[in-house]
Amino acid sequence: MRLGFFLREAVRSIRANVAISIAAIVTVMIAVFILGTFIPSYLYVQSTVNQQKSRLDLQVYVADAATTPEVAALQAEIVGLKDHGLVKGFTYVSKDEALQQFKSRLNDPSILNLLPNNPLPASFDVTPTDPSHNTQIAASLRASPAIDTTMPGNGISYAEQTANRLLSIARFIQYAGLGLIGVLLIAAVLLIGNTIRLSIFARRREVEVMRLVGATNWFIRWPFVIEGIICGVVGAVISVAALWVAKVLIVDPYVASSTDGLTKNQANTIGFASLAILLILAGGAVGAVGSGVTLRRFLKV
Amino acid sequence: MSTETDTDAELNSAEPSRSASRPARDVERRIDRRSLLRPGDGPMVIFEGVTKRYGTDVVGLEDVSLSIEAGEFVFLVGPSGSGKSTFIRLLIKELDATEGTVIVGGRDLGKMRRSKVPYLRRGIGCVFQDFKLLPGRTIYENVAYALEVTGDAPRAIRRKVPEILSLTGLSDKSDRLPNELSGGEQQRVSIARAFVNHPRLLIADEPTGNLDPDTSIGIMQLLYRINRTGTTVIMATHDRDLVDKMQMRVVALEDGRLVRDERSASYATVEP
Ligand SMILES: Nc1ncnc2c1ncn2[C@@H]1O[C@H](COP(=O)(O)OP(=O)(O)OP(=O)(O)O)[C@@H](O)[C@H]1O
Ligand SMILES: [Mg+2]
Repeated sequence: MRLGFFLREAVRSIRANVAISIAAIVTVMIAVFILGTFIPSYLYVQSTVNQQKSRLDLQVYVADAATTPEVAALQAEIVGLKDHGLVKGFTYVSKDEALQQFKSRLNDPSILNLLPNNPLPASFDVTPTDPSHNTQIAASLRASPAIDTTMPGNGISYAEQTANRLLSIARFIQYAGLGLIGVLLIAAVLLIGNTIRLSIFARRREVEVMRLVGATNWFIRWPFVIEGIICGVVGAVISVAALWVAKVLIVDPYVASSTDGLTKNQANTIGFASLAILLILAGGAVGAVGSGVTLRRFLKV
Repeated sequence: MSTETDTDAELNSAEPSRSASRPARDVERRIDRRSLLRPGDGPMVIFEGVTKRYGTDVVGLEDVSLSIEAGEFVFLVGPSGSGKSTFIRLLIKELDATEGTVIVGGRDLGKMRRSKVPYLRRGIGCVFQDFKLLPGRTIYENVAYALEVTGDAPRAIRRKVPEILSLTGLSDKSDRLPNELSGGEQQRVSIARAFVNHPRLLIADEPTGNLDPDTSIGIMQLLYRINRTGTTVIMATHDRDLVDKMQMRVVALEDGRLVRDERSASYATVEP
């Protein structure tokens, strides 16, 4: 492969149809910019959703006074629900573990030393196969004598259906975002394809001469593929630059001023360098696919 | 432009000019490995009962059989629509015969895979009435293009292009663009490009079609010199004067049929 020759031919061709190439570059730019804002947002929503999901576990509090056979019977019932497919898994959290978990969440754990004894009950942390099963699970466990009914929710606490609805809205937003990206990427592919189609038309004499003097099919195709890739990569690089400016001017100050620990932790869902590489690769891929599709249709060699 | 006397002297001289033959032989060995044409002793072109129909009923060529030896110079004549261009396009497998066999340089083109066609064409130089030069590129770049496309090294290109430009008398025009040249000069460029690879077969479809008689003679002279280096030349033409002057082999087509194939002949049969 004669890279020097191909690059020269591709650049010659881009300069010959500047306006059309710019149109394709701008489309890639817009698509990649939106992709670049969507990927971190998507990852943020995703991790938030996962956190919400874990909050949908049922807490089944065990009374301090419960006897060992009573606790064993409760556990057997949970295992039975698991066998029925309602429960995905469960963990037993002892009184000591509960206290440790509580301590780790406090700013000043030493305050607990003031307590004469451990006030926290042991519990089963039950993960449903789907949050919509929560009511049913709670109902079948409620009769157990091991449950500490003084705790919230009469000893079995779980989030309501509304939380579930929030999750589906989040999911809808994700799908809509993916759809938008898909449409934009297809538009970018088509516009690059159009650029290449016009470029093939503008260079039909070159192609004719190439065929006559015995150029192989791939030798004829390469300059067009490279032209598409150049358009894609240039568009992507411009939008990466724009994203970086947006990050420095908008996102970073917001995160820095944010008091919400969650935002702080989740803001770096993907490193900017990895995001930039990903986006530039995506731009190149869009260019390659766009020219590839067009070459198949318009350059029968 | 060359005068009538110069031309006649050149055309009648049996001695190939030295400047043309030396590079030709030196390059020939290399070229044969790259192109698909077999060097052997067999004929350069064989047509066996070749019929070409466009669609179901338009006849391009009808049951044509002939053989052209390596090193021959052949005029392909006939009225418009008689099938000359069809004949030429079959040779480079731009078209496939509907019936019959086309063999070029020992290769049966009917059996040749599509992917091999570029390699076939590297062994055949093509010249057309409309020159097919690339408008945005200089004369030098136009000729070099044929070499770049076939993967020659830059060093070889820098050596071969000036060589062929001087052979075709274009040395002082190498930095000009095609539209800054006369028709005759442009046709020389297209011949230079066709011959820069020193192909064993050169086909020309009405190369003098757009040129005045004097200029045509200059082009004819160039093709003849190329033929003297051992290259087989097949030239489709309407130019009665040129054919009569040359007295070479003439293959005449009419409505796609071969109606005459004579050695040392004129454009038309001379009625006794
Ligand atoms: N691509 C094509 N599709 C359909 N018919 C064609 C095509 N090319 C040529 N023909 C027909 O085939 C016949 C031979 O055409 P061809 O071009 O070989 O003639 P020619 O001898 O080269 O004519 P000219 O001297 O005008 O160039 C004509 O009747 C022409 O109309
Ligand atoms: Mg013709």
